[in-house]
Amino acid sequence: MKQEYDAIVIGAGAIGTSVAYHLARAGYQTAVLDRGDIASGSSSHCDAVALICDKLPGIDTKMGQASIDYFGELARTFDYDFEYCPKGCLYICETQPEFDAAENYCRKQQADGYAMRMIGHDELCAMEPHIAKDLTGALFTPESGSVAVSPYKLCFAFVEEGKKYGLESYTYCTIQKINLDPDTNAVRSLETNYGTFHTKRIINCAGAWASFVGRMTGLDIPIEPRKGTNLVSEQTGRLCNHKILEYGYMLSKFDSIHFKRNVSRLVEEQNIAFNLEYTNACNLLVGGNRLFRGYDTRTEIETMRAICERAVRFYPELADIKCIRAYSGVRPFVRDHLPIVSDVDSIPGYYIAAGHEGDGICFSPITGKFMEQIISGKPTDFDISRLDFARFSSGAAAKGA
Amino acid sequence: MRDLNDDMLVCRCEEVTVGEIRKAIREGAKDVVGVKRRTRAGMGLCQGRTCEKLVQQIICEELGVGPDQTGTSSARPPVRPVSFGELAKGVID
Repeated sequence: MKQEYDAIVIGAGAIGTSVAYHLARAGYQTAVLDRGDIASGSSSHCDAVALICDKLPGIDTKMGQASIDYFGELARTFDYDFEYCPKGCLYICETQPEFDAAENYCRKQQADGYAMRMIGHDELCAMEPHIAKDLTGALFTPESGSVAVSPYKLCFAFVEEGKKYGLESYTYCTIQKINLDPDTNAVRSLETNYGTFHTKRIINCAGAWASFVGRMTGLDIPIEPRKGTNLVSEQTGRLCNHKILEYGYMLSKFDSIHFKRNVSRLVEEQNIAFNLEYTNACNLLVGGNRLFRGYDTRTEIETMRAICERAVRFYPELADIKCIRAYSGVRPFVRDHLPIVSDVDSIPGYYIAAGHEGDGICFSPITGKFMEQIISGKPTDFDISRLDFARFSSGAAAKGA
Repeated sequence: MRDLNDDMLVCRCEEVTVGEIRKAIREGAKDVVGVKRRTRAGMGLCQGRTCEKLVQQIICEELGVGPDQTGTSSARPPVRPVSFGELAKGVID
């Protein structure tokens, strides 16, 4: 076992494994550590799509599209199959006001050059024969802006492909201490249950747990856990042909978008946004919601009820399909809904790539690429200064939220 | 256990073989959940009720650990398959 690395990545979820893969590929002697197994946190407790149509216009969408394009390249070049599957997405609109709001969003995205369009009731029913017949229409995003992957296989893929460039992984690895240079405050070493690793660079990719790693060197990283739940169906026929979300999803994701749905109190309280997708294994994934519950990832029966209520409303045939499992996880939430991808001014050699909330899988390829560019001192593919950790020290985040 | 053929099915729901489980352990799986994510063993209709003990035995064999170190699949509702319609109505016994 080596004791010295050019870079050590903390966290082996989608972001950490991608960062580790990109650093190894660029020639850095890299190790990725996780306190559990690879993909044992948020990256195995989420759904499986990368979309542009759940992003706000601007840098959010730009990163999404760049990442989705990059997924295709990775799928073609990787030997490890992470179940990459382009599949179109439908944002379904229950009512005319929802349709109008979606259309407004669609126009902005079209103006920026992204492929999406509004479809009416008849076209929706033709594209989705099993959907409820009383919906107004949908926002359709074609395969160019909507792909599915297996999130945990993606993590395994980054690690296995990274091994070809010398990447090493340490699982069930706990960090006891991070040592900084007493004079320069620069990163020097990590003490772990595997021994001491010497390194000049650490990248905090601990997602919803990034704040704990931050505290070890006195950094206040404002990332909070935000819980989500999905239900898994028995293996069944193809109930839907696309990734399906209700437009109200935007409502639950960005509290800046105010829109009232006509839903039950339970659905409202549980902050449910219906979404549905089919998997390679022919199960359906049915979700979802966003709640602040600390790190408690136990599945709540009221959440399951509320998701089912909403699901049966949009796909009545689901009523007779069996649910075999429910799972819950936490997303790394940042108040201004933008991830942190940057260095840290106060600690030379310390980098953060975390806080992607529900976009971690989608943004993982581009985040890994950006982090390698930042560490190598190269310009990033496009300006990501808004993702700088320094935005929190200046009080900019409070104003921007 | 040593006599188990790599072709033998362990997880009947997802059709996962002894050989696939051994490969997952060689790739770094150290417990039942690690094997599950790498192979789908235990992700099917029975949720590991049939195969989990056998997966644990293979882990013990391959890694030389005791059965108390293999972990178990996370216990999650529902206890048995139940329709989305029944769940929506809150009919839970």
